[in-house]
Amino acid sequence: MDKLLNKQFSTIIGIMLVISLIISFKNSSFHIPGNQEDYQPTQPIAFSHQLHAGEMEIACQYCHFGAEDSKHAGIPPANVCMNCHKFVNNTFNETRRADLESRKPVFSKEIKKIYASLGIALDGKKVNDEIPTEWVKVHNVPDFVFFSHKPHITAGVDCAKCHGDVQTMTQVKQVEDLSMGWCLDCHRQEHDSIQSATGRTAYLQDCASCHY
Amino acid sequence: MSDLIKQYYMSYEDHACDQECSISDLPPAEEVAKTSDVTRRSFLKTTGFSFAALMTACSKTPVQKAIPFLIQPEEVLPGKATWYASTSFACEAGCSIHVKNRDGRPIKLEGNPNHPITQGGLCSQCQASLLELYDSTRIFDPILSGEKSTWDGVDNYVIKALRKVKDQGKEIVLLTGTVTSPSLVFAIKKFKKKFRTVSHIQMDEISYGAILDAHKHNYGKRIVPKFRFDKANLIVSIDADFLGSWISPIQFTKDFRKNRDLNAKHISKLIQVESRMSITGGKADERIALSPSEMVLFVKDLDAFIRGEKGSNAKAKELAKALKHHQGKSLVISGINDINVQLLINRINHTLRNVGRTLDIQKPSKQFAGSDAEVQSLFQKMKNGSVGALLVADVNPIYALPNGVEFGSVMDSLDLTVSFSDKHNETTEHCMVIAPQLHDLESWNDSEQNSGLLSMTQPVIHPFGKNRSVRKSISSWSGIQTDERDLVRNYWKKIFKSRVKSGKTFARFWNELVHDGFAKISPEKINLTTFQNRKPNISASKINGLELVLFSSSQLGNGRHAENPWLQELPDPITKVTWDNTASLSPKTAEKYDVKKGDIIQIKANKSSMELPVLLQPGQRNNTIAIALGYGRKGTERFHEVGPDWLEKKSTVAKGETVGTNVSPFISETNGFQYSGMVATVSKIGESYDLAMTQTYHTLSNPENTSPAIMPVRPFVQETTFDEYKKDPSSGKYHGHPVTTMWKDDHPYDGHHWGMAFDLSACTGCSSCIIGCQVENNVPVVGKDEVHRKRDMAWLRLDRYYSGEEEDIDVAFQAMLCQHCDNAPCEPVCPVLATVHSSEGLNQQVYNRCVGTRFCANNCPYKVRRFNWFEYAREDVMENMVLNPDVTVRSRGVMEKCSMCVQRIQEAKFEAKRQGIPLKDGDIKLACEQSCPADAITFGDLNDPDSRIAKLNNDERHYHVLEELNVLPTVGYLTQVKNKDKSDQKKGEHHG
Repeated sequence: MDKLLNKQFSTIIGIMLVISLIISFKNSSFHIPGNQEDYQPTQPIAFSHQLHAGEMEIACQYCHFGAEDSKHAGIPPANVCMNCHKFVNNTFNETRRADLESRKPVFSKEIKKIYASLGIALDGKKVNDEIPTEWVKVHNVPDFVFFSHKPHITAGVDCAKCHGDVQTMTQVKQVEDLSMGWCLDCHRQEHDSIQSATGRTAYLQDCASCHY
Repeated sequence: MSDLIKQYYMSYEDHACDQECSISDLPPAEEVAKTSDVTRRSFLKTTGFSFAALMTACSKTPVQKAIPFLIQPEEVLPGKATWYASTSFACEAGCSIHVKNRDGRPIKLEGNPNHPITQGGLCSQCQASLLELYDSTRIFDPILSGEKSTWDGVDNYVIKALRKVKDQGKEIVLLTGTVTSPSLVFAIKKFKKKFRTVSHIQMDEISYGAILDAHKHNYGKRIVPKFRFDKANLIVSIDADFLGSWISPIQFTKDFRKNRDLNAKHISKLIQVESRMSITGGKADERIALSPSEMVLFVKDLDAFIRGEKGSNAKAKELAKALKHHQGKSLVISGINDINVQLLINRINHTLRNVGRTLDIQKPSKQFAGSDAEVQSLFQKMKNGSVGALLVADVNPIYALPNGVEFGSVMDSLDLTVSFSDKHNETTEHCMVIAPQLHDLESWNDSEQNSGLLSMTQPVIHPFGKNRSVRKSISSWSGIQTDERDLVRNYWKKIFKSRVKSGKTFARFWNELVHDGFAKISPEKINLTTFQNRKPNISASKINGLELVLFSSSQLGNGRHAENPWLQELPDPITKVTWDNTASLSPKTAEKYDVKKGDIIQIKANKSSMELPVLLQPGQRNNTIAIALGYGRKGTERFHEVGPDWLEKKSTVAKGETVGTNVSPFISETNGFQYSGMVATVSKIGESYDLAMTQTYHTLSNPENTSPAIMPVRPFVQETTFDEYKKDPSSGKYHGHPVTTMWKDDHPYDGHHWGMAFDLSACTGCSSCIIGCQVENNVPVVGKDEVHRKRDMAWLRLDRYYSGEEEDIDVAFQAMLCQHCDNAPCEPVCPVLATVHSSEGLNQQVYNRCVGTRFCANNCPYKVRRFNWFEYAREDVMENMVLNPDVTVRSRGVMEKCSMCVQRIQEAKFEAKRQGIPLKDGDIKLACEQSCPADAITFGDLNDPDSRIAKLNNDERHYHVLEELNVLPTVGYLTQVKNKDKSDQKKGEHHG
């Protein structure tokens, strides 16, 4: 009886192990857990950094104005979008084509979404309730890491150093692995130069610089 | 060496027992055996759980959403805190606060340093009241006959009922706490005008009626004077715990501290006369233990001696002499709510010419106005049917009154009963209508707590429910439909000219008021008569039996915050009991009645009987029983669920039971509400009870077998007297001989080197720092059972030490937290380098590295490390909004401890860096430092020679606890200096 039980028990354990292995392989994209390098989610609005930051040369901190004084760079609120999109509501090509065809330009599908989120009609009249846009966060660090944009902006670190050439991306992609080793690559090298530029600061390899 | 150092002990039980007693932190062996059986069932549960955990760990990183504002308000920046000035009404003191708002929700309350009364201090109750905002059991909808309703429905019902009561000629009684809001007074006036039979009765749950009435007799007006502890050189407090719970403890602590500057030629002297052991008694330079009945006679004698008449008490004679010596610079106060005693006190202060010098009656405190007689007559009026409607705001009469149960049944016979409470309590149960009010942090409010100083409350979060303020409800019923803000603003607009003489426009006045949180206004003139002598009628004689002493504790007060787990788990500063009120007896009395700690006794007094567990309290007067009010509140049944859920869990309270026992029925109703002096009888019922106390473990004491012969008790607390200190500032200090260290001296700390200092002389033991730390650092609540198992999580604990014997006890408080040792013993034993030293002298704990071996806690000589035995975080979405987003919520299996608020250090550094200027001393204030009303805690950079901390570090009084271990702590202590006569010094030395 005991033997039978043992046999059954090991079979069950075996099956469970196999299932768990299959599940874990299926879900992984062959990165160490937590490493989201190459993460490129689809966003609710097909916003192109290539167009805005690249072609239009809008400065990063025009929209991500939180970076200077806050932990978060922030996703721009719709009222920042509306600074331009109150007037701009389609692409150059569409304006040109509409001009040629002497018709009114067609309102861009994506820009319509900003209007919809604010609950206003295309003529600016309030018609609906506001529905905030749920963007998908691309760059994530674990909860036990406290990263703040503020000191990095103060220290003059280029945005591209961590975020890559965003101005060439139509859809934002995480280009670095955001691992601790990767952070330390900079913090080790540039510790002295940054420190001398900004007065007495933390030795940038202290654990409590980021973990608390 | 040992005869120079005063010997202190931590717990009475250890002190009283002989060598066989174990003072070890370890549980007894049989307890270990009992708790460690692993049953088949528990094994399967654990394996099953582990498998499930394994499966979840393998799943993909979840998609995180980020939802930005649609239209971002100008002053709000996600990730950056904004601060608003406001006022907290968590206790009657109404402290001015700064509210830290992060991403639209308040996460921390701090005292407003600019406020002239509270001067930046904040009590534990006010700090913890933040959690009550996020309490998901609050009432969020108006309730009509037990069912959720709408405001329209409630308004119609109430107005109709009020009209009916008015037409019948019956009285409409508005029963409130003391109303300090001028705009609410105005709204009540309008309400009175509309329904002509309205009478407004104010009731203080802990009554100060005797002080008010005595001033009515002596000066013609019911006032509570403004006491000036900063101006008094000799303070005699007769049963007034003014540093802990009496009137306005934060203000008093700040003021008291001002006259205790050791660099001055003289410091004040505090003499406390009391029955129980209060924190004021602990702080006192001299303490006289008397029973309530003896105390009354003592005051009588004191008055007699001061006026040159005869008396019998030798101590009173001595004291009278000293008081006369300090004429005009002394202060006598009493917390006894007996008009005759208060008349005596007034006469004493008058004879000593203190009025106008150390107590101000021209600009009195307006915190209390309740009248015992009016409250008592209300019950009679309700009983004989002349009252038709009762509207109850801010008070819980059924809980707080001795005849609460009868009060409740009489309430049921009324035509209309309305409660404004936003929590279900004893009184709401008997109310037809609940018109829930807003939390302080959701509402507009104004208050004139002190004559001539207007405090402002502004909402810092959108209300969670449909609640509205009492002001708004009453105004709507009077037919005034104005929004919350304008009800306050319009009132001030109207009377602006008569009360503000600054020449500002109203708009400017209002904006500054909202911005600063307070404004000076011209005080209302009060017409006082000159002192009218009135002969007090003292008929008391010494009672020979047991006398009862009821008091409000500094953590729960009158019980309004009983549902706040932070305050329930905050150990009582003296007894160190959590989650319970106890019947404390002096050890001698306990011996007399043959009871020991934890025995349940039945106490009979005032025609009621209660069962409470016994606690032995050194320093307490023999033949007295002291019990805290504020426990046994309805709603605390919820704590059945508190704490981690596991196989051997014991609930904090049994299902359906409350935390502690309500002892309000013991309050005597002769001559107002009497809180002490009731004659009691006790009997053992033969059961015992586990009290969860924090002081019984994490002791720093030496085990007998390893301690050096010269030093059986280590000098954790080092103490001297003021006279000695003047002669030699380093007196009372113990010089340890450090052991050799194996560490190389290779840590230069050439940037900052953070350090802290605690001034034992200043610390009053109020425990505000503990709550401050808990809020700032997301320290979890663990529940009674876990505290009992020595697994409380407080990063900062306040050790209380006794010295002396029986009733003659000295107390010292010592905050104990991670000492951030330069040669930290915890660091080399960590196998995974989860605790390492920073370049700035911080002992860092890296949660994500910690694997939970607990070697570090074992090796810590200060016992300040806390292990997460469980996942304490809960999935209460609303309650979790209180968490500080800048501090990790620790998970199961990791060690944690004080981080020296490294998140605050980082934030200040980032800001300094941004502005391009170096950090200044005082830029960084730690949570505990900020909340300390006694300014006992100092933090700063030891490397900056001009910083306060560097100066304190070189102070002659500065010492390190366990200096001889040579662990080089960066947290230091300053010796306790008491203003004692020389004859008192030697006591307590015979021990050890």
